[in-house]
Amino acid sequence: MSGAQLPANLSAQTVREIAEKRDEPEWLLDARLDALDALESLDLPDVIQTPGRRWTNLEALDFESLVDPLDQADETERTSDEGVEVLTFTEALEEHPELVESAFGSTIDPQENYLTALSAALFTTGTVVYVPEGVDAEDVTIRAEMNSRSLFSHTLVLTEQSSSVTILESIESGAESDADARYFSNLVEIDAGENSYVQYGSLQDLDEDTYSYSLKRADVGTYATVNWIEGNLGSRLTRSDVESELNGDSAETKIVGAFFGHGGQHFDVNARVWHNAENTTADLVTRGVLDDEARSVYEGVQDVGRDAWNTSSYQRENTLMLSDESEADASPKLIIHNHDTEASHSATVGQVDQEDLFYMISRSIPDHQARNMLVEGFFVPVLEEIEVEEFRDDLEELIAARLR
Amino acid sequence: MSSEQDHLKETDTEARFDFKKEESSAFQTEKGLTEETVRVISEDKDEPEWMLNRRLRALKQFQEMPMPTDWPGQPDLSEVDIAEIVPYIRPDVDVRAGVDDWTELPDEIKDTFDKLGIPEAEKNALSGVGAQYESEVVYQNMQERWEEKGVIFMNMDEAVQKHPDIVREHFMTKCVPPSDNKFAALHGAVWSGGSFVYVPEDVTVEMPVQAYFRMNSEGMGQFEHTLIVAEDGAEVHYIEGCSAPKYSAFNLHSGGVEVFVGEDAHVQYSTVQNWSKNTYNLNTKRALVEAGGRMEWISGSMGSKATMLYPSTVLKGPGASDNHITIAFAGEGQNIDTGAKVYHNAPNTKSTIESKSISKDGGRTNYRGLVHIADGAEDSSTSVECDALMFDNESTSDTMPYMEINESKVDVAHEATVGKIGDEDVFYLQSRGLDDDDAKQMIVSGFIEPITEELPIEYAVELNRLVELEMEGSLG
Repeated sequence: MSGAQLPANLSAQTVREIAEKRDEPEWLLDARLDALDALESLDLPDVIQTPGRRWTNLEALDFESLVDPLDQADETERTSDEGVEVLTFTEALEEHPELVESAFGSTIDPQENYLTALSAALFTTGTVVYVPEGVDAEDVTIRAEMNSRSLFSHTLVLTEQSSSVTILESIESGAESDADARYFSNLVEIDAGENSYVQYGSLQDLDEDTYSYSLKRADVGTYATVNWIEGNLGSRLTRSDVESELNGDSAETKIVGAFFGHGGQHFDVNARVWHNAENTTADLVTRGVLDDEARSVYEGVQDVGRDAWNTSSYQRENTLMLSDESEADASPKLIIHNHDTEASHSATVGQVDQEDLFYMISRSIPDHQARNMLVEGFFVPVLEEIEVEEFRDDLEELIAARLR
Repeated sequence: MSSEQDHLKETDTEARFDFKKEESSAFQTEKGLTEETVRVISEDKDEPEWMLNRRLRALKQFQEMPMPTDWPGQPDLSEVDIAEIVPYIRPDVDVRAGVDDWTELPDEIKDTFDKLGIPEAEKNALSGVGAQYESEVVYQNMQERWEEKGVIFMNMDEAVQKHPDIVREHFMTKCVPPSDNKFAALHGAVWSGGSFVYVPEDVTVEMPVQAYFRMNSEGMGQFEHTLIVAEDGAEVHYIEGCSAPKYSAFNLHSGGVEVFVGEDAHVQYSTVQNWSKNTYNLNTKRALVEAGGRMEWISGSMGSKATMLYPSTVLKGPGASDNHITIAFAGEGQNIDTGAKVYHNAPNTKSTIESKSISKDGGRTNYRGLVHIADGAEDSSTSVECDALMFDNESTSDTMPYMEINESKVDVAHEATVGKIGDEDVFYLQSRGLDDDDAKQMIVSGFIEPITEELPIEYAVELNRLVELEMEGSLG
C-alpha cells in the first residue's frame, strides 16, 4: 500500500469515461478497472535503501495535485516507414484487435506496482508499432508533446520473425499549463520475435517542473536483439527503468544510457537484464553528468538464471561530477546462478580530470570552454553506441545546450 | 626461545589454577532471553551497575527492533529463534579439561585440526594465547615484554573489572551502539567473553596478538566482544580464529568487534572463521579511524550456514585510510553474505576493498558493500574489486555494491567479475600431469593467493587447508 493520496475524480466512473470516449473493447476496460482496484494493495516501485537513507523519495509524488485523469492532452507526431504499421493505440485496437489484446500487459504486468497500475488505468495516448515478418524499417519516429498537467502513455512494439525496426521516441513539454507541477508516465512493451532486431531510442526533455516515470521492458526472443538508448535530460524527478528479458536462446541486448542533471534535478536511472536462456549477451553502458545540486541514482542489474548457459554480460557506469553540491549514488548488481558465465561490471565516479583541464588551458582554451569540451568528450563512448545519426545529433545538441 | 616457552607454560598453569578456584561448577542460563537472563549473566560476572544498565538498555532495543528480512537476496533467518538459544554457558572444569586435552575432542574436530595440518604445538598456541570456550574466556596469556610497555591484553569480562574507565568510555558507545542493528542489540544484552586490547601511545606490538573462539554446545549462542583501542601512533595486529563443531540444531554467533584507531595509529585485524555448518554468523564489526590512522581488515569466511557480516570503517580524520581484504567460500547449503562498508567522512581519506568469493555445490556467496563519501571529503579515493569464482550452476554468486558519493573531488572505482573455473587452465595443468581435482585445487589456491599472502603463515596454512577440505568434501 503506497498510501498516496489520489485525486477525487479518480474512480471507476472516470476510468469508464476514458474507455468509452475511446470506444475501447471490454477486455481493456476490464484490465483498466482491475488495475484501478489493485492500487489499494500495490506498493510504489522499489527504491534502493542503505542504512539511514532512501535514495529516491517517490513518496513525494503528490498525485492529488499532479493527476487529472480527465484532462490529458498531447500532440504526437508519428512517422512510419514502408511496410511497418505505426498506429495510435486507438487505431491499433480497431485494426489489430487480437494482436493488441495478446500483447497488452504481456511484458509489463499492469499490476506490477502502484505506478504501472495507475498508468494502465488512466492512459490516453500511446503508439503501437507492428512490424510484419521480414520487413526492415528504419525511420519510425514518435515525437510527443505533453500539453496537460498529467499524461499517461502506453506503447507496444511487436516485431515478427526476421524483421527489423529502428524507433526514435521523444517527449517534451508543450503549451504552458497553469499547473506548477506535472506528471508524465510511460510504459513501453517490446515483444521481439525470433531473429528480429529492434533499436528503441528515447529522449526525455520535459520541463523541470515535471515528475516522470517510465518503465520500458523487452521480451527478447530467440536470436533476436533489442537495443535500448535512453537519454534523460529534463524533468524535476525522473524514474526510468529500462529492462530486457533475454528469453530466447542467443538473444542479445544493449542498454545505453545518458543523463545530464543540473539545478535540483533528480535522476533515478535503472538498467536491468535477465539472462533466461542459453548463449545470451548483454552490454549495459551508462554515462551521466551532474552539475549544481543535481542527484543521480543508478542501479544496474545483471541477473543470470540457472539455465542461462554460456552467458556474456557486461556493465559499466560512469558519473562525472561538476559540482560539490551534487550527489551520485550507484549500485551495479551481479546476480549469478549459472557458472558458465562471463560477467563483469564496473562503476566510477569522479570529476573532470584536472590534468586534462590544465593541458587544454595551457593551449589557451578558456576555462569554461575547456571544461565543456571535456564533458562533451565524456559522453562520446555513449554517443558512439548510438547507431542512429538523427538521435545522436539530438542528444549532442541537448548536451551542448546545457553546457552553454 | 625456550625461556619464552617456559614462561608460556608457567602462566598457563597459573591461569588454570585461578580459574578453578573462581568457578568450580558449570552454570548456564535458560533458553531464551528475558530481563531475568540478562540480570543473571551480569550478576554471575559480578558486573558494575553501569554495565548491567547498558545490557538492559540493549535488551530493550533488541525487543523493539524487527528482524532484518527485507534485504534483496539476504540469507533466510527464519530459523533464528532467540527463544531456542541458550545465550550464556559458563564452562565447567570437566569441559575445560576437554579443551586443554586435544585427544578428548570429538573426532570431527580432531580430524579437522589434523587435516588442517597445524602442528601439535600450534594447536596449543592457538588455544592458549587467548581462548574462549562457549561464553567464557578459559585461558588468557600475554608476553611480559608487551605488558611492560603498558599494553593490555585480557579477556573482556576482566577488563570491565580492571579497566572500567577505558571500557566504559568505549564499550558500545560511539563505535557499535546497540541500536546499530538487531543483532548488535542482542549482543549488547548478552555479550560475554572476548578480548580487550589496549596499546598506549607510540607503542608498537611487533607480534600478532591472537585469540581463538570455540563454540561447543548444541543450540547455544556465542556473543564475544572484542574491543581494541590503539592510541595515537600505536601499532598492533590482532588475529582471531573461530570454530564450532556441527550439531543438528542451529547455533548463533553474534559477536561484536570495536576498533579505535588513534591518530597515525595502525591496526590490523585478521580472522579466519570456520563455524560449523549449522551456525548463523551475524556479527557487527566496526573501526573508527582518526587522522592519519590506518585500519586493515583481513578475513576469511569459510564455515557457517549463513553469514551476514560487513566489517565497516569510519574514516574520521584527514588522511585516514582503510584496506579490506576478504575471501568467502560457500559450499553446499551455505549462504555467505558478506562485504565491507567504508564511510569517508574527512578529506584525503583512502580505502581499498578486495573481495574474492568461491561458490560450489549449491553454495551462495554475496558481496554486499557500501562506500559512502560525505560532502567535504575532498580528494578521497576508493577502489573496490570483487572477483567471484563459480564451480557449477547450482551455485549462486551475487555482487551488490552501493556507492553514495556526495563530493565531486573524488576518485571512485568499482569493478567486479564473475567467471567459472577456466577449462583451459584446468586442461593446461592436466597436460602437465595433475589430475582434475588437483588442478582445480591449484587454481583456487592461486585465486585466493592475494588474501593468503596477507595473513601470518599459520593462518594462511589454515585457510588453504580449509579451502582444500571444502574442495575435497564436495568431491568425495
